[in-house]
Amino acid sequence: MAKEIVAMLLAGGQGSRLYALTQKLAKPAVPFGGKYRIIDFPLSNCVNSGIDTVGILTQYQPFVLNEYIGNGQPWDLDRLYGGVHVLPPYQKASGSDWYKGTANAIYQNISFIEKYDPKYVIILSGDQICKQDYSEFLRFHKEKGAEFSVAVMEVPWEEASRFGLMVTDENDKITEFQEKPKNPKSNLASMGIYIFNWDILKKYLIEDEADPNSENDFGNNIIPNLLRDNRNMYAFRFDGYWKDVGTISSLWEANMEVLDPEHSGINLFDEKWKVYSRNSGLTGHRISGDAVVEDSMITDGCNIMGNVKHSILFSGVTVEPGAEVVDSVVMGKTTIRSGAKVRHAIIAEKVEIGENAVVGECPEDSSDNSNVATIASHVKIGANAVIGPNAMIYDDVEEGGKQ
Amino acid sequence: MADSKNEALGIIFPNSYDTLVPELVSERAMASIPFASRYRLCDFMISSMVHCGISNISLLVRQNYHSLMDHLGSGREWDLARKKGGLNIFPPYAQKSVKVYNGWIEALESIKGFLETQTEKYVVLTDSNMAINFDFTALIEDHIKSQADVTVVYHKSEIPDSFKGYNTANREFIYNFQIDEENRVTKVNINSKESGIVNLGLNIYVLERNLLINLIDEAYIHGHTYFLRDVISPQVSSLKVHAYNYEGYVAKIFDMKDYFRENMKLLEEENLDALFSGNQIYTKIRDDNPTRYIRGAKAKNVLVADGCVIEGEVENSILFRGVKIGKGAKVKNCILMQDTSVGEGAEVSYVITDKNVKITSGKTLSGNDAYQVFVAKHQTV
Repeated sequence: MAKEIVAMLLAGGQGSRLYALTQKLAKPAVPFGGKYRIIDFPLSNCVNSGIDTVGILTQYQPFVLNEYIGNGQPWDLDRLYGGVHVLPPYQKASGSDWYKGTANAIYQNISFIEKYDPKYVIILSGDQICKQDYSEFLRFHKEKGAEFSVAVMEVPWEEASRFGLMVTDENDKITEFQEKPKNPKSNLASMGIYIFNWDILKKYLIEDEADPNSENDFGNNIIPNLLRDNRNMYAFRFDGYWKDVGTISSLWEANMEVLDPEHSGINLFDEKWKVYSRNSGLTGHRISGDAVVEDSMITDGCNIMGNVKHSILFSGVTVEPGAEVVDSVVMGKTTIRSGAKVRHAIIAEKVEIGENAVVGECPEDSSDNSNVATIASHVKIGANAVIGPNAMIYDDVEEGGKQ
Repeated sequence: MADSKNEALGIIFPNSYDTLVPELVSERAMASIPFASRYRLCDFMISSMVHCGISNISLLVRQNYHSLMDHLGSGREWDLARKKGGLNIFPPYAQKSVKVYNGWIEALESIKGFLETQTEKYVVLTDSNMAINFDFTALIEDHIKSQADVTVVYHKSEIPDSFKGYNTANREFIYNFQIDEENRVTKVNINSKESGIVNLGLNIYVLERNLLINLIDEAYIHGHTYFLRDVISPQVSSLKVHAYNYEGYVAKIFDMKDYFRENMKLLEEENLDALFSGNQIYTKIRDDNPTRYIRGAKAKNVLVADGCVIEGEVENSILFRGVKIGKGAKVKNCILMQDTSVGEGAEVSYVITDKNVKITSGKTLSGNDAYQVFVAKHQTV
């Protein structure tokens, strides 16, 4: 039985601009919003949009991601036919290859897609925070009689030159593609989410693979080739919340936006569009008689005895008496010892901040997303240590140390 | 995990002591009463068994079991969706001559065919009116070492208030044991009203499956109803009944006061740790978002599950998943079950709300330390 549509999720990104946070895990596995990982968003979008067959293309540091996805049950993607499959590069009779580019990653898994004999393939990116109904996108694609569609966002004209831009006619038909142009002719930025008719995609993947000069990339090779051949290409306008969380400052900012759904547009409290994740299974969080919690999100298993202000705490975080957490993101099972101060920072999982240590510093303007102090997972910060703003800590810091 | 030779199957009675908490069981069984912000009582016993390698678990339900079935589903969240063993829910077997069972004997007789075809050597039998992180492996090992026929679990405790004094409504049984220096039970006291610390039975038993089948057959023929009263108690001299002292944390629910007090006790860190620091207690996943404290919210001494939105003040309270507390609302000394919403400016203290209760804006509702106001499921105040 053929599937109408199969999703291919590109999750191989190293996320090198997240530095300390992606030392041991791939960018799509980076924790976000109190109990999620970035990949929960596209996966939940798939299942909420009625897509039940998803291939996840992994390459860099795949262990955390593989374990996290497991059999796909938390996303309701454990299916007898279809479901979620992690697709790392593999050994073939004629040798093995790393995924050379985004298009090559799909090319190497043509046989996976063929198994489901789909009419359409949607290509998703594993490093964006976005709630999107892909079934609307697919309806648009069908209505236009398109062979290729790309989801686009309107961006301010002054920023347009940072993006890959789709120039369209009055019917949203794409007439030109500009990759980070100096003189933008459009302000419709590609979100890196594509729907292809499978026969077309397959043809262009095979052609692209045969070209020794190709970078095997969707943006640089496949899309220009489609344009060259005057294919039916359309741009689907998306106007919801969308954020590429590829940098420390954008990741921090997106987390802070979760705290303010009334203004930011990212609402995790939407019963009709739930974001699924693998749950910690810990008991409810505890707030002691002396604790102060303001304008924050707290997850199961936290034990709050100190002050938490405008911050997101993941499951199992302990904040000891007299400790202070402000404008920060604190990931799972981290402990903030008494008297320690964490401000304007991202603290990864299972970190210990020693007594009276100071991490980060609040900027004058609280919405300033630069100079976020970042601490890698499993790091121990000694008592009385001082970690300055904008620091990037990969290793333990001894007692009283300064960085 | 238990040695394969020491394998046991688990049997849980979900309707135990239902009559003592009528408010909470109007639409559910004791086993599915919400407890400790995100659990149902049966989660504790089932998780304890699973962590001890007991993966063939049967619940013998009597009545009001829809919510229990909804909660347990296929048993996947307890790792019990198995080809071999796994979770079985036995509804009452509808037969012209058989009424809904009263005691364990009738219930066990109705699944005799099932018991006979299982392969586990031992059976553990338990009630479900307690939150406990119980080590069944240690119990079974002790049972084997003692070479007893039956091992009963007790802990040092007073007899619960609901069994003291003159209470005609209480037709339930509670047991305590007289034991000799070798921990052999010499006498079973039934509904004793003595004061002070006794060896109070926890209604957790282990014995060999074949012996259980024989005892049940014998008892059923004689028209007996209750396992301990009618089978074990009269035979303490002919059967070797061994007593196992449980010294860990247990929250027992014998009436509404217990329900309130045992929840509130978990606001103390040492109690919360005692119940939860051992093996993880599994429960049904709801995929709630983290709890949000909006500007102006105040929270002191609370245990709160995921999925809540708090704009008002909350103190000394237990909040289950999805509770909403509006701006200016004050919640003190309350237990608010799943998806309760407290409107703007409402004030509630010493209130227990069941699921989906709505307290409208500006309302005041208060009980006291001795008697809490209970608002039933789906009610609007």
